[in-house]
Amino acid sequence: MPGVNMIVCCKQVPDPEAPPVVFKVDPATNKMTLPPEVKPVIGQYDEFAMEAALRIKDKAGGKITILSLGNKLARDVVKKTLAVGGDELILLEDETFEEGDSWSTAHALAMAIKKTGEYDLIFCGRQSSDWDAGQVGLGIAEILGIPAVPLARRVEAVDGKVRVERVIPDGYEIVEVGFPALITVTSELGSLRYAALKGIMAAAKKQPIVWKPSDIGLEPSQVGAAGRRTKLAKLFQPVKEAKGEIIEGETPAEAGTNLAIRLREAKII
Amino acid sequence: MAFKGVDYYGIEELLSDEEKMFRDTVRKFMEDEVEPLVVNSFHKEEPLPLEDLAPKLGELGMIGPQIPQQYGGGGANHIQEGLLCQEVERVDGALRSFVEVQSGLVMYPIWQFGTEEQKHKWLPQIASGKTIGCFALTEPNHGSDVAAMETVAKKDGDSWILNGAKEWISEGSTADISVVYARAEDGIRAFLVPRGTEGYTQTFMDKKGAMRCGDVGQISLNDVKVPEENVLPQSTRLKQVFMCLDQARYGISWGAIGAAMSCYETALNYAKEREQFGAPIASYQLVQQDLVNMLTEITKAQLLAYRLGRLLDAGKARHQQISMAKRNNVEMARMCARTARSLLGANGCSYDYPPIRHMGNIEAVYTYQGTHFIHTLILGQDITGIQAFTREL
Ligand SMILES: Cc1cc2nc3c(=O)[nH]c(=O)nc-3n(C[C@H](O)[C@H](O)[C@H](O)COP(=O)(O)OP(=O)(O)OC[C@H]3O[C@@H](n4cnc5c(N)ncnc54)[C@H](O)[C@@H]3O)c2cc1C
Repeated sequence: MPGVNMIVCCKQVPDPEAPPVVFKVDPATNKMTLPPEVKPVIGQYDEFAMEAALRIKDKAGGKITILSLGNKLARDVVKKTLAVGGDELILLEDETFEEGDSWSTAHALAMAIKKTGEYDLIFCGRQSSDWDAGQVGLGIAEILGIPAVPLARRVEAVDGKVRVERVIPDGYEIVEVGFPALITVTSELGSLRYAALKGIMAAAKKQPIVWKPSDIGLEPSQVGAAGRRTKLAKLFQPVKEAKGEIIEGETPAEAGTNLAIRLREAKII
Repeated sequence: MAFKGVDYYGIEELLSDEEKMFRDTVRKFMEDEVEPLVVNSFHKEEPLPLEDLAPKLGELGMIGPQIPQQYGGGGANHIQEGLLCQEVERVDGALRSFVEVQSGLVMYPIWQFGTEEQKHKWLPQIASGKTIGCFALTEPNHGSDVAAMETVAKKDGDSWILNGAKEWISEGSTADISVVYARAEDGIRAFLVPRGTEGYTQTFMDKKGAMRCGDVGQISLNDVKVPEENVLPQSTRLKQVFMCLDQARYGISWGAIGAAMSCYETALNYAKEREQFGAPIASYQLVQQDLVNMLTEITKAQLLAYRLGRLLDAGKARHQQISMAKRNNVEMARMCARTARSLLGANGCSYDYPPIRHMGNIEAVYTYQGTHFIHTLILGQDITGIQAFTREL
């Protein structure tokens, strides 16, 4: 088919803009609990990944398939990817997909991508907006045996290749890679476009495709919590203690000297 | 945290995915692109830059959402249109006026009463935000009593000649095209008058205490020649005028909820943080009562507007039901603005906080599109069968 055949992985996460105080950890189960007013959203880096794919589609044309893995995915959240210009939405949706780690998530997504057939580019956010592990994208590339370019701030498809500007500590470098390849996208790429009313009404006519583990050739024991390769030893909220100390002196100059002595004692200067 | 809406009765569960998605788009757009401009615009009475904003609104489907897609609209339902008004007015009432004037008062009459040619010519340009319209009904001497209007239209060969004056017209000084109502021999007719037509002048009205982020203008018509092709053929009676007003009144009933939500949220957050006599003011019973009253009235207003939207979608709403929602919800928003203003103490008197801006705007809303009293009389007539608008003296 003409144009670039793309897959974007988008994760539904609790709104990261919610204030930290509302996130509570239940020490008995080692799980996070959330009040109902914290609504789900698509992770922000995954939104940048979606925008990257849309920019390629704007210029070169093509097809965008969105994959989202989880359980009880809110349709108005995940369908936003169709409303902004995605073509097809596949949900890996089952309770057995819950509580996975980076490995089991990457594994399931890779299996789903294989099932979708031919593809040119896969886009992921640089990391999820909840666990921030940043391993799923690279994990998918590893399992599929394709090259990965992390931290893209700009992407452009040219003659069966993709040119990526990737962020490095003191600037960016330009990398070219042939299809198929996986790209993880960073915030510098820019925000996802708004879902316009016309796109929303067009998306209303499309139903997401739902796949269970058996649809991607996996047993329930291979996905989600059961398929984890890491064990979460302890989940806790650090208690931040900020101690202040007032350094005094008869005159400002003396206070300054005392401060310098104190800093030297603390081996700061 | 970004605004998440006031929803004490789980109205969210009654909304479809498409309704929620459109609401969220508008909410984000308003927070990102309009909110930062509002305080200064209101303070200086410099209208929001529509030449820049309107095309963006158009692209997102915020102008004429309910107009069919074949004419450049969005094909939205009434709940989507209502949620749009709510989210726009939460940030600024004048921009909600703009949206509702374009959709309900300019596009709607062209769509319902215009020729196919007029629809194809005007609706897509207005929907795109590149052409701005206004609805010129009110006159210096006739507001509520529109039937007594003095602007006249006389037939002159293939054209019409218009004479008269209009004032308090939203978008009046900047509109590219105006739907002007005038008395013809056979009834009140609607004329499309483009900017720059000879004898037609548009003037900005300043020193307003309300809608300071918007354009409100005066229009004067001095032997203005309008060709027959610019007459809306099916708009020949006051009935058609009222059909337009019903569209806008419905949007207002949701817009008022947005203004009230903004006031309530501001007051609630302020009351939890502001300490007096050694405790947050939210810990005092009188303050709690004010907050509870606001939330209760907002919730009732939401249920009214929601049900009305569904009735309209089913083609079952009566215009008196629209009057009830406009009347109740604007009164409710007026109470919330006043209450929130007072809970913020002196800060409530600053334009830096939303309540006093909403308080000014909602006064205009209380008056336009049928004053509060006029809607009372519409409902009074409906339930008693006795009209109380006019009397012999
Ligand atoms: C910001 C703003 C924007 C506007 N935009 C537009 C616009 O885009 N297009 C447009 O055509 N108009 C517009 N208007 C005008 C608005 O529609 C009129 O102001 C409104 O219809 C009321 O008319 P009036 O101001 O002449 O008041 P009047 O009709 O003179 O009313 C004055 C008072 O008398 C009361 N009253 C009148 N008749 C009765 C009665 N029979 N019984 C009891 N009480 C009665 C009214 O309720 C009111 O309290 C706008 C107004 C404002 C403030």
